[in-house]
Amino acid sequence: MKKIMVNVIEIQDKKYPELLKKIKDAPKKLYYKGEFKNDIFENCLAVVGSRRLTSYGRRMTELLVSEIAVKGITIVSGFMYGGDEAAHRTAVEAGGRTIAVMPCGINVIHPEYQEDLYNKILNNNGLIISEFEGDLLPALWTYPKRNSIVAGLSKAVLVVEAGLNSGTLITTGFAKSFGRKIFAVPGPLTSEVSRGTAQLIKQGAEIVMDASDILKYFNISTIDSIKANSSKKNSNLIQLSALEKEIIEHLKTESLEADILARMLSIPISKISASLSLMQIKGFIGQEGDKYYIN
Amino acid sequence: MLIKVFSAANLGLETIKVDVEVNLANRGLPGFEIVGLPDKAVDESKERVRAAIISSGVEFPMKKIIVNLAPADVPKEGSFYDLPIAIGILKSVLQFSLPEKSLFFGELSLDGSLRHTRGAFLLALFAKEAGLENLFVPKDSANEAAIIKGIRVYPVENLFELTSHFLGRKLIKPAIFKKSEIDERLPAPAEFDMKEILGQEQAKRAMEIAVAGSHNIIMIGSPGSGKTMLARALPGIMPPLSEEESLEVTKLYSATGNILPGGSLVTSRQFRAPHHTASQVGLIGGGVKPQPGEISLAHRGVLFLDEFSEFPRSVMEAMRQPLEDGYLTISRSKERVKYPADFMLVASANPCPCGYLNHPKKNCVCSSRQIKKYQKRISGPILDRIDLHIVVQPVDVEEFSENQKASEFLESSVKIKERVLAARQIQLERFKGEGIYTNAQMKNSQIKKYCRLTKEVEQILKQAGIRFQLSARSYMKMIKVARTIADLDGAEDIGISHMAEALQYRPKIYED
Repeated sequence: MKKIMVNVIEIQDKKYPELLKKIKDAPKKLYYKGEFKNDIFENCLAVVGSRRLTSYGRRMTELLVSEIAVKGITIVSGFMYGGDEAAHRTAVEAGGRTIAVMPCGINVIHPEYQEDLYNKILNNNGLIISEFEGDLLPALWTYPKRNSIVAGLSKAVLVVEAGLNSGTLITTGFAKSFGRKIFAVPGPLTSEVSRGTAQLIKQGAEIVMDASDILKYFNISTIDSIKANSSKKNSNLIQLSALEKEIIEHLKTESLEADILARMLSIPISKISASLSLMQIKGFIGQEGDKYYIN
Repeated sequence: MLIKVFSAANLGLETIKVDVEVNLANRGLPGFEIVGLPDKAVDESKERVRAAIISSGVEFPMKKIIVNLAPADVPKEGSFYDLPIAIGILKSVLQFSLPEKSLFFGELSLDGSLRHTRGAFLLALFAKEAGLENLFVPKDSANEAAIIKGIRVYPVENLFELTSHFLGRKLIKPAIFKKSEIDERLPAPAEFDMKEILGQEQAKRAMEIAVAGSHNIIMIGSPGSGKTMLARALPGIMPPLSEEESLEVTKLYSATGNILPGGSLVTSRQFRAPHHTASQVGLIGGGVKPQPGEISLAHRGVLFLDEFSEFPRSVMEAMRQPLEDGYLTISRSKERVKYPADFMLVASANPCPCGYLNHPKKNCVCSSRQIKKYQKRISGPILDRIDLHIVVQPVDVEEFSENQKASEFLESSVKIKERVLAARQIQLERFKGEGIYTNAQMKNSQIKKYCRLTKEVEQILKQAGIRFQLSARSYMKMIKVARTIADLDGAEDIGISHMAEALQYRPKIYED
């Protein structure tokens, strides 16, 4: 890997992010990699989620972040695997900008196997930020520090999935004390990683149903894009065969395995398999593990 | 007085002629020596021969006896030189004449009876090739040797019977090959019928395709999802061995002593399921005197490796070459042995260390780093050689209505086997003269020849290649699997639906 320049910015500096300056115990120095443009800090949304992101969580992250990131909102997260990784990756893939706040020294990539994502962030006008210099390894005490920066940089925090007593809830705790808005994605209560988000909603976080809920908060209009999207989908659906339409009908309520579809429709598995492949190739449905869902 | 009796030695699957020279000298102290690189088992035959001769009512000669096993530089092993040595000594005592072109082979018991001895089939093969006419083997091994036509196989029960035969008192009738029930015991019949397995429609279909084209298959799923059950049901849908294949397998089983006493031809495909703690030599083959391993015993059959990711890396890597070539060469400084090992690999593995990744009810507690590390345990080159990849999830039995549980809704193994047999027949006819039997064995040039794709099908495959990020090798695998699906369908050409179904079994997880 080629060495990327590490830069420092101090709290007295004019370029130091305004929002971050306001928080209690703001870091005196910020180390960063990438191009430090002030407009990247203008509209920041923190997207945080459980390390044990479910397929539902990943899909919701992709759905929401891809629409938000293309509108020029910077996605801030903590570069951990799971929810953070999904947020960064979706933002980069949608062509948006993203900031990764590291829990370790600026020279360390943690977790190291996400190096490809690390480079992608930098190559797409993103930033890598850390409060810590050099080769410091992440420790229990560095994570809350990192979380406070994630919350501090952002106008609002979007929680996709979180367990009770999780690091994600520490981030939202900071956000609350800084007076930032909190959005939460509802999920099934039988899932451990939806109980944290449910608690946030109970405490007054705003429920997110689609990207427009968040975009409205940032004063960005959403009408045209969503309309265009849905009309495109409808015109595509017309080309489907009768069986494919039936499959789509069943997938609308929940994602299902091929076996269950075959049983529900009483159609041989070989036919179901072939249809699923073709629909996947055409892009109507996606697959996570062995379950299929509508794109 | 010098007497020559003929026997043979098995080196791997090769057989060479061994001359057993027995010299009884009147001079010198009485004694009994065997020379010609005998191993411990051959050396001990002195005691067995002495006791057996006495038990047969013949006085053991008080002479200086030297037995030479020629050629003297080839190591002799095993217990089957007992009979030729004993016959040599008996001949000098009882003065009978031996028929020409005869081969003797068998282990003696102290009471003079002969025991089942491994390798009788190989010996019979050799006898025929070498132009020999008579073969004297233990009674229990005679049926195995009698498979070979054109030689007389004499089933010998004990030494006394054999001396009576040579003295012309009571003749032994040559054995006639007959199918025996004993062979049905190899392998154990399927433990489950496919109709006993609820749900798992896609996995069962994948099994059918795998068996029909002899494709390697890997099942990934949580503990208790039914991977092992699916594999154990496999013998019920496997086609029987063809005559040619049957002889190949019998040869291997005879050489390793796996044919039961009284048994003969191995007619059904073998199902081998070694545990993951098995040694590399046990699995792959080898040892000081190279022996075939489990992969060879699974020749033309199924090698089921449960908990595949628990197998040592070295074992997996060692399997690469036989998976590609269908045989294994074991080289030692003194010898080189080639064992066939053309098997269908059925592997099963957990998706992560705790096993519950993507489980519908339980939560996985593994970190993504642990999962990555775990999935990397299976060697990439091995995965590359597996045509079908399926995910198996546990089935909620409660979910099934009584209606669906009724067996008429579930296909039985017998019915699936019918389709498999038909598909195999198509393949046999297609590959006549190519030296292969099944779709999975096709090389790239043969794929081009026998799997012409229409423009539409090629288009689908290309699009899928982009969407699913298929490697060049995966492309070829998909075409082979689609060919088998088309054969199951009885279709001449690969259609869109065949290709689309094949794409369901592409590598999914476990590949990055």
